[in-house]
Amino acid sequence: MAESGKSSDIVRLVDIRKTYITGELQVPVLKGINATVCRGEFVGFIGTSGSGKSTLLNILGMLDVPTGGQYYLEDIEVSQFSDVEQATIRNLKIGFIFQSFNLFPHLTVEQNIEVPMLYARVPGRIRSKRALDLAKRVGLGHRLGHRPTQLSGGECQRIAIARALSNNPAFILADEPTGNLDEKTSNEIMKLFHELNREQGVTIVMVTHNPSLGPHYDKIIRLRDGRIDNTLFEWEIAAQKKESEAAR
Amino acid sequence: MMLVRDLFSMSIHNLLLHKVRSILTSLGVIFGVGSVIAMLAISEGAKQSALAQIEAMGIDKIIVFSQRPPINSRSESSDNASVMERFGLTDRDATHISRMDNVEEITALFDARKKVLKGLQRTDLKLIGCDYRFLEDSSAKLEKGRWFSPADFKNNANVCVIGKNVKRKLFALGNTNVVGSTIRIEDEVYKIVGILNNEYGTQYPEIGGQNDMILIPMSTAKAKFKDYTFYREGRQYKITRVEYDLFLIRVADTQYIDNTAKRVSSYLEKLHSDTKDWGMVVPFELLKQREQTQNIFTIVMGSIASISLVVGGIGIMNIMLASVFERRKEIGTRRALGAQKSDILLQFLIETVFLTTSGGVLGILTGVGIARTITYYSGMPTVYSIWSIALSLVISCLVGVIFGTYPAYKAAQQNPITVLRAE
Repeated sequence: MAESGKSSDIVRLVDIRKTYITGELQVPVLKGINATVCRGEFVGFIGTSGSGKSTLLNILGMLDVPTGGQYYLEDIEVSQFSDVEQATIRNLKIGFIFQSFNLFPHLTVEQNIEVPMLYARVPGRIRSKRALDLAKRVGLGHRLGHRPTQLSGGECQRIAIARALSNNPAFILADEPTGNLDEKTSNEIMKLFHELNREQGVTIVMVTHNPSLGPHYDKIIRLRDGRIDNTLFEWEIAAQKKESEAAR
Repeated sequence: MMLVRDLFSMSIHNLLLHKVRSILTSLGVIFGVGSVIAMLAISEGAKQSALAQIEAMGIDKIIVFSQRPPINSRSESSDNASVMERFGLTDRDATHISRMDNVEEITALFDARKKVLKGLQRTDLKLIGCDYRFLEDSSAKLEKGRWFSPADFKNNANVCVIGKNVKRKLFALGNTNVVGSTIRIEDEVYKIVGILNNEYGTQYPEIGGQNDMILIPMSTAKAKFKDYTFYREGRQYKITRVEYDLFLIRVADTQYIDNTAKRVSSYLEKLHSDTKDWGMVVPFELLKQREQTQNIFTIVMGSIASISLVVGGIGIMNIMLASVFERRKEIGTRRALGAQKSDILLQFLIETVFLTTSGGVLGILTGVGIARTITYYSGMPTVYSIWSIALSLVISCLVGVIFGTYPAYKAAQQNPITVLRAE
């Protein structure tokens, strides 16, 4: 990718608003969100339920359009794109990771990884080669022929991560990726995200309600009641963590 | 194109995963196509055997025959007197007709009107005088022995060639030496020289089937019986005089056969002074008419059978709609991973079309099986043509497109947000 000349912002949200209209009632869910995600950053959106994080996730993932504000993805205003354009952006620029993995149980691991490439019309030979590479990257190069039902939860999420990376997206959008996993596996998955981020420069946006501050984030954006409550940067996260340990 | 291929293999994969459900789903189409194929095979078989029968009369022939004129046009006479009745085709007719355009030649048949008895019982067999050319003009084949020789005609020989049924009706079952033995009819004895077999069972108007004829040379018949027949009807003796009973008129060009037929009939009307003592059959015209009615029959049968195809299609639509609901999560995930609405639409459409088309293939096998079974047990001829099989395939494919579009559209319209949250 030739990024020279472009700004390093992958995602820039300018005054994003979303209001749901149910009959006569107008329910504002997002009340003006301003945020940026830079290339190679690991950003966490953290909020309790009702804070608007799911709505923000849908808008970030281009599954939904905001009622107001601008969403710049790699400096292109995408918030009012048509359905076809949205699907194309989702396919090429966003790597989705779901809480319950959402793998296709009837497809093999290899076929699962290939699905986004299928929709990008990547030829079969290149697809299977990339699928093998990606499976190796998440440490499951030997399980290509298996089906998701034969894998553990942690392995499933690894495959989902490989699938999210298959079209080399601008960023990975993870929705509670450790929500269905036990603590040990969660740590492994977070470690994998960390490695991908630090060693391979993958930009990661993670949406979670989990307030535990991992050492992984570059930036934590806390949502409350449709607004940004505060933004913590890496050094602040580290400092806070030290404080809490000292207090204990 | 690449995507279609991938979606195709994915669809097959998905259908094979639920084998029982897939088969149950396409059962409607299987039996729908099966009944269409079977129906078409039956009606096509009926058509072809009917047409073959007509064709066996000869499509390049005009058949003119003598018939007893209606009562009111016969001459009335006193009760007790002997009556001489004269009607039918004459030598003069033959001469005139043979001079017409497009008429190649005429073969004549003459019914001697003799009682053919087996013991004391009367049979429906006929003693018929025929021309030398008759073997060629009938659609019968010599099964055994020989045809008359020119010498037989010249010598008015007492020889006969019998039809297949004659042998069956007059001789014992195991008798293999029929050729060479003799038949006695009234006071005459005829030596059998050959056996004719007409596999179509061709029937001529007034004088019956070729297989029921005892044929003798025309010259023999004319020499022995002249043209007269005596018989008793109540207290009345009657004499019937008929010169010829049937002309097989062969035309040179079938294209103009209806014109020739018209000319022959207008000639006969004029010469027989409006007495309807003759009749005409043109197998070619019959063939065309029969073909038409059979085609209508085929269409009706096919339409009735295709109702079951519609029912099958509705069944498939039903199950596909249920399947769309069941696979909401899959659809939502695919959309999130970048599938266009058209990709989802195509995926579900391919699944339905594949289901109905493979159902169609199984249906064709079922239909052929049904048709064969019918032929095996009832002897009814069945014919499955390439076009009926191709048509069934196309139709089953179309059923998939028609009844698959709505479920596929429904699938494509699923909102990924709500669908993803529905888990």
